[in-house]
Order: sequence, then C-alpha cells, then structure tokens
Amino acid sequence: MKLRDDFLSELSSIQGQSNRQISVSEGSRRLRCEVDQSSSLAASVYELVLETIELAQVEIASLQLASQSLCNRVNYLLEPISPIETDADSCIVQMRSSPPQQNDTARNYYELILRRGGSIALYRYEKQPGAIRSRVAVTLTHEVLGRLVDDFIATVDEVLST
Amino acid sequence: MILDIERDQRRFKQIVRGKIRENLRKYITHGEMIGRRGKETVSIPIPQLDIPRFRFGDNGSGGVGQGDGEVGDPVGKPGEGSSGAGGAGSEPGSGHFLEVEVDLDELAEMLGEELELPRIEPKGTASIMSDKAKYNSIRQTGPESLRHFKRTYLNALRRQISTGNYQPDNPCIVPIKSDKQYRSWNDVPRPEVNAVVIYMMDVSGSMTDEQKQIVRTEAFWIDAWLGKQYKGIEKRYIIHDAAAKEVDENTFYHTRESGGTRISSAYQVCAELIEKSFPVSDWNIYCFQFSDGDNWGDDNQKAFELLSDKLLPAANVFCYGQVESPYGSGDFIDALRKQYSDNEKLVLSEIEDREGIYESIKTFLGKGQ
Repeated sequence: MKLRDDFLSELSSIQGQSNRQISVSEGSRRLRCEVDQSSSLAASVYELVLETIELAQVEIASLQLASQSLCNRVNYLLEPISPIETDADSCIVQMRSSPPQQNDTARNYYELILRRGGSIALYRYEKQPGAIRSRVAVTLTHEVLGRLVDDFIATVDEVLST
Repeated sequence: MILDIERDQRRFKQIVRGKIRENLRKYITHGEMIGRRGKETVSIPIPQLDIPRFRFGDNGSGGVGQGDGEVGDPVGKPGEGSSGAGGAGSEPGSGHFLEVEVDLDELAEMLGEELELPRIEPKGTASIMSDKAKYNSIRQTGPESLRHFKRTYLNALRRQISTGNYQPDNPCIVPIKSDKQYRSWNDVPRPEVNAVVIYMMDVSGSMTDEQKQIVRTEAFWIDAWLGKQYKGIEKRYIIHDAAAKEVDENTFYHTRESGGTRISSAYQVCAELIEKSFPVSDWNIYCFQFSDGDNWGDDNQKAFELLSDKLLPAANVFCYGQVESPYGSGDFIDALRKQYSDNEKLVLSEIEDREGIYESIKTFLGKGQ
C-alpha cells in the first residue's frame, strides 16, 4: 500500500507538468513511471514498471501462472488481456490486448511484460498502416493507475508464494 | 466413336481449364485447396459450367387451335395468350458445384502463366545421373509375384504342341517349371537435377490462425510450382517458436504452438540440415521462411550471423515472407532490409492479408533463380 500511496502522491505533485519521470521505492521494490502529462484526476503515461530482484530465481511455470492471474485481475482497461508468447529461455511472458483495439486510423493495444530478474511492465502501442508500431502514452485516472500498482504487487507476491 | 469421346473429353478439359484460369486468383487465396490435395491432383469446386444444351424454338410449341371461333378468325401465334401468374421463387437457388480433379502440374503451369513466372535455372552443373530400375526384360527365374502369365502359358502351349500333348478338343494347358517366365529389371541411368525446398514457419503465440493459414496457402502454391520445375524435388519442413524442429508435412500444415519467437532457432536447424543432408555443390537449395516478424529483440543479431555465414551462401534463393500481425509488431523485415540491402539472394515480401499471397508468390518466384 505504501508504494501505491507514495506513487499517487508523487503523481499529484506533478500536476500540470509534462515529461516527468516518477520513481518510488519500498524495500527491494521500485516503481517507475514515465509521465507525459498529469492533471488532478488523470495522467497520460508511456510506461509503468515495477522492478524487483525478488523475481531473480523464479521458474517460467510460476511466471506463466502469475501472468494468467494478472490478466484476470486487469479487467478494467476496457480491453481483454491475455498471454501471447512465453520465452522459456529468457523467462519472459508477454501479454497483450486480445484482440487489439481497432479504429479508423490505427490499431492500439496494451502490452504487459513479466520477466525473471525481474519486472512487470505496462506499455501502450499504436500501429498505423504502413508504419512501424510506436509506443504511445495512455491516459488513465489516478485511481486506475493505483489499482494497476496494487495488481503488479499482488502478482509479484503470487510468484513468490509459488 | 472413341475419337469422339476423346474430343469431348479434351473440350471438357479446356472448359474447366478456362474456368480455373478465370478464378485463379480466388483459388490462390483460398486455403481450402490444401485439404483437397491428393497425391498428384487437386480437387477444385467449379461453381458453374456452361454446358451446351438443346432449346426448343417457337415452332416446337404450336398445336391445333381449339375453342370458340368463327370461320375466318385469325389464329393467334403460340405463346401470345394470357400469361399465367408466375412469381419469383422464394428459396435461394442452390449452387451446383462441380468437383473437378486437376493435375497439380497443370495447376502449377496455370500459376506460372498467370503470374508470368520465369522458368527456374538450375544452379551450375548440378545435374547428376542416378540409376532407375526399369522392368524391361524377361528371365527364367524370379519370384512368383513377377511371373509373366502370357509368356509362361505361350511357352507351355508351344511345348505341349511340339510334344503332341495338346488336344484341341480339351485345350488344357499346364505350365511346368521350364515354361515359367519372369519379369525382370535393368538399371537405366537417368539424368536428375537435385533440388530441395526448406520451408520454415513461425508457429509462436503471436501468429494467429489466419496468419498461419496464409503461410500454408502460399507454401502450397510455391510447392506446386517448384514441384513442376524439378521432378522428384525434396521438401523439408521446419517449425519454430523459441525452439525449432524439423517436422513432416502434415505437422507443418496443422501444428499450433504458443511459445516466444526466436527466428535464429529455425536458421540453426536449417543450417544443420543443409550441412548434413544437402551438399551445396550437388543441390539447388530453396529456403522459404514465414513469420510475423515479431522476433524477440536480442535474437536478431544471432539470426543475421547464421543467415550471412551459412544460409545465404548455400541457398539459390532465400525468401522471407512477413505476414502482417494483428499487432503490427513485426519489424524483422525492416531489420533484414537494413542489413542486406544489396543481397540478390535474399527476397523479401510483406503479406498483408490473403489477397497479398498472389503478389508475394510473384515476388518470390519471379526471379527464376
């Protein structure tokens, strides 16, 4: 909870500013967020990453199980997310919006990466016709961002408990 | 009479051929062809064939006039009476599909003509002679399964006539051991060009069923074309996600995996296969690789090393087809473009959807290498 509260407090403190990097820590866990813009209610962020060395020795099977429960938990982003690929060699599980969101001009999707070492990261990508995909900022309310932090922490705890 | 049937058959084939050619693009983009493939033929559903038929003319529907009338009244022409209250049918018309068997070679020929594909020039002097067994002689000994019945009985008949044992009233012919004749073979040297096609397909989790279907359809047509160019062509299939393995044709066309994407794993297996089974000096080697290009970032360098050191020097042509991913996350083709901008052996093609298969085949096979 402390990590979440510290993060939201930092987020509130940069209201009206743009291109800021937030970093808060609790023990061996560090939360990083690249903020594009922030207001009193919401923020647009390029990435949200929880890093921890606690995941240094985990097995791929634990990561796969945890990724499945993370996908089940993160059901408030309006796009269903599911595991897409698992790299057993590098011990990485990749999750994405499934299917990606399609509008008239582009396709957008969330990508969540859970890796041994370790970290959990959330990104948003956009793919326009004829162009390479690019990372874009996603606008989320402070409440949703706080919920994401809680779910990331819960996922790490779950991996460690298996 | 036989001539007439043959002429009709030829004409029927011409009509079918015309229909297939008309709809070839549709057939190329249809994956269902794979399931219709036999050993040497493909079964194609043709929606409609205009078969010539007899039609009755006006004269045929006349008859004797009946009913009230005075002498001198003109008789109406047939068909001029009040028409009945007909209406449109309420059921949709049932399309009658005619399944025709088309020779794979013939289909490949049509593909070649439609896409204006050049004939392939075999590499160097890779032609070698191989011995082919041909049953073209007769021997006195052999297995019973190869016994030549006609010659055996003719011998027995000759013997019975010459020894006076043949009775025209009771024409019973019993062959003995010395009458028996057996089919036998000779080794005939036959010129042969060695060619192998190695297909590599990404079956990782990011490849959707639709993408895999596109790959399979394209591979089917490439297979048909190369099979026509080289008789007895060897085919090898490799599938990969984070790890690669050589599989049989059926597995290649029907497997589903969900791991991550490491293209280098497929290159490694391909390089080992070539080294072990297909000496570069004797073989024309064609590599076709298909992926959504969503390679794990750190793997590109390893893949490039294998491609530069082992695969490109060995292959006549190395074709990479990148199927558009629903996530648009594939950038392997861009990395290849940057790395090998002037390498003629490397042919790249982006396949957006099923419609893209047509152009992609043209890109791959259009060089005639």
